Formats: sequence, structure tokens, C-alpha cells
Amino acid sequence: MKTKLLAGLAAMILGAAPLAAHAQQGPTLRVGMAAQDVGRLDPHFAVSTIDRVAVAWMFNGLVRFRPGSINPAEIEPDLAERWESSEDGKVWTFHLRRGVQFHGGFGEMTADDVVFSLQKAGNAGSSAFSADYRAFQSVEAVDPYTVRITLRENVPSLLGLVTNYSGGYIVSRRAVEQRGADFARNPVGTGPFAMERITPNTSAELVANAQYFRGAPQIGRISYRFIPSDASRDLAYQNRELDLNYGRADQTWVNRTRQVPNTTVDVFEPGELTILSLDVSKPPFDDIRVRRAFAHAINRQEMVRWRGPDVSREGQSVVPRGYLGFTADNGLLPFDQARARALMAEAGHANGLSVRVIHTQLPEMLNGMQVIQQQLRRVGINLDLQVVEHATFHQQIRQNLSPLVYYAAARFPVADIFLSQFFHSRSIPGTPTAVTNFSHCNVADSQIDAARVSTNREEQLRLWAQAQRLLVENVCAVPVMETLLVFARRNNLSYGYELRGSMSLGPLITEQTRLN
Amino acid sequence: MIGFVFRRLIASIPTLLAVLTLVFIIVRVVPGDPALVILGDQATPEAAAALRARLGLDVPILTQYVRFLGNALTGDIGTSMVSGRPVFEEVGAVLPHTIDLTIASMILGIVVGVPVGIWAALHRNGVIDVAARLLSLIGLSFPVFVSGIFLLIGFALQLRWFPVIGQADLGDYGDRIHKLILPAITLGLVMAAYITRVTRSAMLASLSEDYIRTARAKGVPWRRVVWVHGLRNASLPVVTVVGLYVGILIGNSVLTEIVFNRPGLGKVIVGALNQRDYTMLQGLMVIYCFLIVVVNLITDLLYGVLDPRVKAA
Repeated sequence: MKTKLLAGLAAMILGAAPLAAHAQQGPTLRVGMAAQDVGRLDPHFAVSTIDRVAVAWMFNGLVRFRPGSINPAEIEPDLAERWESSEDGKVWTFHLRRGVQFHGGFGEMTADDVVFSLQKAGNAGSSAFSADYRAFQSVEAVDPYTVRITLRENVPSLLGLVTNYSGGYIVSRRAVEQRGADFARNPVGTGPFAMERITPNTSAELVANAQYFRGAPQIGRISYRFIPSDASRDLAYQNRELDLNYGRADQTWVNRTRQVPNTTVDVFEPGELTILSLDVSKPPFDDIRVRRAFAHAINRQEMVRWRGPDVSREGQSVVPRGYLGFTADNGLLPFDQARARALMAEAGHANGLSVRVIHTQLPEMLNGMQVIQQQLRRVGINLDLQVVEHATFHQQIRQNLSPLVYYAAARFPVADIFLSQFFHSRSIPGTPTAVTNFSHCNVADSQIDAARVSTNREEQLRLWAQAQRLLVENVCAVPVMETLLVFARRNNLSYGYELRGSMSLGPLITEQTRLN
Repeated sequence: MIGFVFRRLIASIPTLLAVLTLVFIIVRVVPGDPALVILGDQATPEAAAALRARLGLDVPILTQYVRFLGNALTGDIGTSMVSGRPVFEEVGAVLPHTIDLTIASMILGIVVGVPVGIWAALHRNGVIDVAARLLSLIGLSFPVFVSGIFLLIGFALQLRWFPVIGQADLGDYGDRIHKLILPAITLGLVMAAYITRVTRSAMLASLSEDYIRTARAKGVPWRRVVWVHGLRNASLPVVTVVGLYVGILIGNSVLTEIVFNRPGLGKVIVGALNQRDYTMLQGLMVIYCFLIVVVNLITDLLYGVLDPRVKAA
């Protein structure tokens, strides 16, 4: 044991020889990211922002959001050149692009890889997004360049499940089988950039994929630096050591960064909707009057002023705005402190109410909750915040230990996902299919279920709107604000498209991206 | 000497075992589910259960412990739950940076702290002594994340002598030293402050001993009295503090690593803790503990060199 230990340590101390560098064809793009390290770059396990951003540079889906857009109506061909569906919408056939090569000599992408990838995405043991693929009955290779997907029931957006997002990325079957667990840090895709090496807690180095099917990228390499300290990252950007910098959704930061010479601050979708879920199954929120008082006490305008008008906007529903199915016509209770106090008195809490709430110490979430705490104090509601470490917060709110949960999230921009995960009874923590329904509400189950399988778009929109009205009327959750994504870049970096949104939560670096 | 080293290494085995057991228990007592951290907030209980099974977290804790100890005894300290790569490999990529920083800070601390401590002791309660005590107090109370940012603003942003991102190429020794200077100054000055205070106290005690008075009465030159008789006897507590502080430096370098964007063991430990990467934490503790044992051994050997009575005992 000692010999092995000593040998290992000696090798470490002397310093491992760096991997052989790839030939550099173009400039290096240096990206600063606010994170300690990447996690798993197997796209079906890429759940954090830092992982999602990098995965989008290395992988493709059968279809893709047009770069710079998160509008499902602008989905366009990617690895599939074209597709068709049966009349009932349950059978989809995709015709693959020929000659697409995987990174690192793993050969041509064929229907076999697509079948493997989608089956992997739908398997709980090999994907974090398996629940999204419940409606898949089968995925088959009709021939090497044709894939057929058969559904058990209709889904709101089949294309959304095979796009360049979450489980929709296509991996190399051979690479996954050959590399096993190592695939998470040595991923193999078909995208414009390929992984070269990862230095733990430091950086990931990517090289251009000269064989990329849309043409060789103009950027030669990407150096993806993990810099958790905001101050250090900003200093590195100011010192011209970074070309692209993850920004803070904070007006002061945006204003200050805009003053840095040759800098553009990009603010883009998707907005992360912050909601306050109230557990309707337990006191004090089992009383609708308390929930209504709570809703009237929240001043959304003040929240936006606090966060910054350039980077946030008021939440208007329990679904983020812009999502397919969103409606602002839902009867959302307005800010009204007098009404809130009256409702509290009516509910027997004229002398005030104290609620013990578990919350994370993550600064951006903690600060937001402290503003909410002040707003509620004005109507006699005292939030007794139990601040815990972030992983502990996630575990404890899933054990139903907090009657109020402050949660911010962005999902695929179709109302079904948000409604199902946050408001369907199947998603209540403690159930076998639990996700994030911390409100324990079930008032809109039938509308959510019916909308999901409906093939009539108008009916679907009507059902989603009805579900939102029911959830708002019952005050299952109070929407607070939507926070947009922020990145700063040097003016010599041109994405090659207009950045209005990105489902990977960071700018896509494509073959068109230039660094002059 | 070899027998002494061998006996100390054997004696360290129970310490290692105790540390391994403690770490194994502590990481599992801390709330937070590794499966949830890895799978994210959309994961279903089914997916989390599948992952826990794959990570070996579904078996009784005693079985996990026996497996862990068995593997550790064969030199296998596991595979990171998050990255899926061997802990040795992950640590190996950053350990040279930590060792660079530790050694450079230690050298700076000794080179600055010992002479200043002696100088202060020789001018007890004079201007030099007061200044040295005041500066060492400032050095001790200034957090490294503040002094580090000041150094970055001054030397990186204004003068442009150093980069803000301190990730060095291990194969390029010039680059390695260049990027080491600011972090080493940040940590080294804290160490120098410690050493100054200890050296001053030890020297004051040593200089008031009878043998010093005797040496002076015999006409031994003052310089020799101070550097040979005084310092040699005062160096035992200094060596003790340096030995202890090296262990603290390895663990506490995390803030310096974050501010200067350097890879290192401290950052890996924080990352593993945030991600509830049990195996990585356990592996890191084994390596950390091993390094501490080695540092303590070197300290003990130095005692023997400085004071033959220690060797004889």
C-alpha cells in the first residue's frame, strides 16, 4: 500500500505531463464561469449551469433551437435533415444527416447512436432527465439513417425532447460503452468543439472540431475557466484575461461592467421564475386567508427595483412569461398591505404570525429571501429563516420540512413542464414520482394531464390557462420575479447570431462565432 | 535514524485509521444527498435510487465502511462520485500547485519571520520591536481574501506585472514561479507574522538564560552568542510552529487558491464537500493525513538535529 501511495504521490509532486496539445487553427476564446468545477459532461447528466453551457458546445440534438433563440416555433433541423409525424402525432420519423462524424475518431453518427442515446436519456439509471421520456414507447432504427419514435401518448412538444437540450443530445454509443464512467469527463459528441482535457477545479480545454458538419469553427480553442470568486473573475475580465464572463443578475454589476472599455453586456432568456410555494397541506398555509394575505404582502415592483430592471421583471403567473401556454390573465392578487393585514386578522392572526422556513445560504437566493422577509414583516408575518448549506436545503425541502419554499427555476419553454413539476400531485415530495411540488397542490391535475395529451393546440392553451387560474386562485404559490441571464463579452467577440436566449443557459459558441 | 523513521511511520498507522474512520462517519452525517447533487432538481426518486445503487450507497453503512477500508489498505482510495475518475488522478492534477504554494509560503515566512523576530527581540520594547509586533499583528488579522485582492489590483491590474488567473503550466517552470509570487506573498506574510512572534518570544527567553550570560562573560562575540547559542536554542519552538503551520497551510490555502484562481487541494476539498463527493473527500483526507504525518516526521527529525537530547530520548 505504502509503495503505491508513495509512487502516486511522487508522480503528483513532480507534476503530471500535460496531454498532447492539439493543433490550434484559430484564436482561443477564454471564458470565465462562476463555479468550482464542472460535474458530469455526459449530456444526460449535465444539470448545473456550468455543465449545460459546455455540453451545448460539444453535442447536437436531432433538431435545435435556432442559435440565439429559445422559441420552440423556431426549432430547426440539426442531426436530422427532416422529419414527419403520423396524423395522430404518436409516430415520428427522423431522417438523419449523412457523414456526421463523432469527435476523436469514433466514426459516423448513425441511427444506432440515436436509438442508444434516446434510450439512455429515458433510463433512470443513465439519465437525470428520464422522467421527460415516460411517453416514449419505442425508439427504433429503421435503417442506418432513419429513426422512428413511437409514443404511448401525446406529448406537448416531441421536438422539445429531441432538441439540443437536456436528454435530447446524441452521444456516441461506442464512446459511452468504451469509456464507461470516464465518459462523464471525456465526452464524445458531434458538436463544433471537442473536449481536450479537464484540470479539476481549474479549467476545461476544448478544441475546434475541424470535421464539424456545418463547417470548421473559426474559434480554435475554448479555455473554460472555473472562477468561483466574482471579484477575481471580474478582475480577470478587466485585465483582459477573459473574453467572455459569466455575469451577475444585478443592476449594479451590469452598470459597472458596461463602463469597462470595449464591453457588451448581454442579458438574455430564459428568465428564471422565482416562486414562493406555500404548503397547503399544513398550518398555517392550509388556511386560504393566510395564503391570500401572503400574496397581497408581496411587492413585486420592489423586488424588481432591488434586483434591477435590466435583469429582472415581475412574475406574472406560476409559469414564466414567454412559455407556450403562459397567460397573464389569471387573477393574480395585487400588492395590497391593508388587505393583507385584514386577511391576517380574519384568520385569527391579528397579532402576527411566525413561520419557520428553511432556506439556502446561496447569496443570490438568501438576499432575495431577506427582501421578502422584510415585505412580510410589514403585514405582521415573521419569517424565522433557518439558513443551511445549499445541498442540505435541497434535501430538507424534499423532506417537507419547510412550509414555505423559495425556489427559482427555468425549464423547457412549454407550460406543461413547469406545471407538471411544480403543481401536479405526482410531483409532491415523498411520492414515488416526486419532483418539486412543494405546495402539495393538486387543484389543477386534471387540466395539466388533459393539456399534455391533447392534440388540439387551442384546447391545450385553454387548459393551461385554466390550470394557471386555478393555481393562482388557490394561492398554491406566489410568483415573485423573473431573473434573466447575464454575460459580459469583449466587443471583438461576435457570436455570429443575435443572442436573445439560450436553453443551455450560456452563449452558444458555433462555427460562426468569431474572435477578432 | 532509519529505525526512528520506521517506528514513526508504523506509529502513524493507527492515526491514519482513526482519521479514515472519522472522515467516513463525518461525511455521511452531514445532511445533503449526493444523488440529488449529481442529478439536479428535476430528478425523480427513482433516478436518485438508481444512482445511489450505482454509487454503492444503498448498502448498509457498515458494509460501505468495510469496503472502503479494504480498498484503502490495498492502496485504492476510490473513484470520485462526481467525475467518475480515480481520486489519485484528480488530486494528482492539483497537488503540485499546492506543494508549490506551501513551500514558497513557508520559505518566505521563515526568511522574513526569523530575522525580524530576532531583530525585535534584540531591541525589546524599542521602536523596531513595537513596529515588528504591530506589523505581525496586522499580518495575522488581515484576511487573505482582502490582502490578495489588494495585491491583484496593485500588481495585476495597475502594474500588469502578474496575471489575475494563477493557473500555471506545470511543465513551464518560469510560468510556475511567475504565477506563484503573489499567492506566496499573500500566504507567506501571514506565516511570517506567526514566525516573527514566536521567534521573538523564544529569543527573549533564550537570551535571558544563564548560558548566554556565561558566554558573554567569557568574551564570546555578541553576533556568535545570538546566532549560535541563542538562535539554536530558540529554534525548537520555531520549528514546532513551522511544522504545525505547514499542515494548516495545506488545508487553509483554499481562500488564496480561490482569490488567485489557482488549482489546489483546498479548492478540491471545498468542491467535494459542496458536491457531497464522499469518496473524493475520503481520499483527500487520506492524502492530507499522509502529508501531515510526513511533515511531522520531518519536524521530529529536525528536533534531533537541533537538540541531540531529543535523539537520545
